[in-house]
Amino acid sequence: MGSQLALKSRIASTGSLEKIFNAQEMIASSHIAKARTVALNAKPYADAISDAVQAVVAHTHITHPIVKKEEDNPRVAVLALTADRGMAGAYTSSIIRETEDLLARLDAAGKQPQLYVYGRRGVTYYKYRNRAIADTWEGDTDKPGVEIAEAISNALMSAYMKPASQGGVSELYIVYTEFINMVVQKVRVLRMLPVEVVEAKVEPGPDMARDSDAEAEAQKVRPLYRFEPSLEEVLDAVLPKYIQSRIHECLLEAAASETASRQNAMHTATDNARNLIDSLTRKLNASRQASITQELTEIIGSADALNNKEE
Amino acid sequence: MSEMADSSQALIQVNIVAADHPVWHGTAKSVTIPASEGGMGILADHEPVLTVIKGGTVSVVDPAGERHAFEVTDGFISFDSNRLTVAVERGRDVVRTTSEPAGDEA
Repeated sequence: MGSQLALKSRIASTGSLEKIFNAQEMIASSHIAKARTVALNAKPYADAISDAVQAVVAHTHITHPIVKKEEDNPRVAVLALTADRGMAGAYTSSIIRETEDLLARLDAAGKQPQLYVYGRRGVTYYKYRNRAIADTWEGDTDKPGVEIAEAISNALMSAYMKPASQGGVSELYIVYTEFINMVVQKVRVLRMLPVEVVEAKVEPGPDMARDSDAEAEAQKVRPLYRFEPSLEEVLDAVLPKYIQSRIHECLLEAAASETASRQNAMHTATDNARNLIDSLTRKLNASRQASITQELTEIIGSADALNNKEE
Repeated sequence: MSEMADSSQALIQVNIVAADHPVWHGTAKSVTIPASEGGMGILADHEPVLTVIKGGTVSVVDPAGERHAFEVTDGFISFDSNRLTVAVERGRDVVRTTSEPAGDEA
């Protein structure tokens, strides 16, 4: 009897866990649609900026520090994008594993990596292990706004623009999770600074795609821009914005990945809870049946014994 | 450059984007932007230009002659082959006002 009560209470608690997992899964799936919209909304701005940067690069020989920096500074910055909350499967732990790999690689190459962490889970991981962290940001990892992107890029840019003697860094790496689709997310390491500007293929934006192909062709041959007030001032204004928009892009992609992996993890957890309930119910039924059989045997046995006595 | 400008109609394709959402896009006859060195009017077939802008009002006159005004924060604009892209920082600071402004700087 005791074991039946125990089984019943386990079934009840697994049942309520199942409900929680199921709710978490549904919340995550509703957030995914939102994360997608946010990412789509940020795209035109990112496109505009990278077009502008490419236009500048196409005609001018930039010597801005963002594009090229003196190589003798061994200090580099590493930014790891983790989650604020758990229940997202291996999301944070794969980021941490990749970050550790990268730190080890940089160490081996004679660099001095400085760690920047975004997301509460990552921060607690490194704080618990007493690792030196240069700076941290927490909050809103599942819906990062422009403000947090601005805060991060300002901090990293100021670290990058500082001379080596004042603790500046010469490179910036970002470890984040690329959103490939709902099921596949991949951890990636991106070298953000110095900027490697490559001539990307010209893709007409969705809004402007109405023009003929000839127009798109002509677009490849970029016209000679006039820069106002001056090339340097345009660069000074545009390049930090470019970095900020790239960082924002990474944050948004990481948020979408986080939500997707949370949804997957919660889906698996719901399935597991259901399996557990099934097997516990079977055990409960078997043990109830066993006790009924035992009672019957006892009754029949004692009745038999009484009958035998009377004869 | 000049042949290309001739082939397209003398209208500007305008695309105004903030960091977290697209604000407006459409065609226009002329656009006035708050360039860092003062207001700057852009008509179709303007020379290609990449300009830093400061916070202020971008006003767009559409082909019907109606004027749209947009409050923007700092950012930049790029113009070439009659496409104007206005990229500004803050989405929440961007307010679209369709009311008729005085039209002083045009």
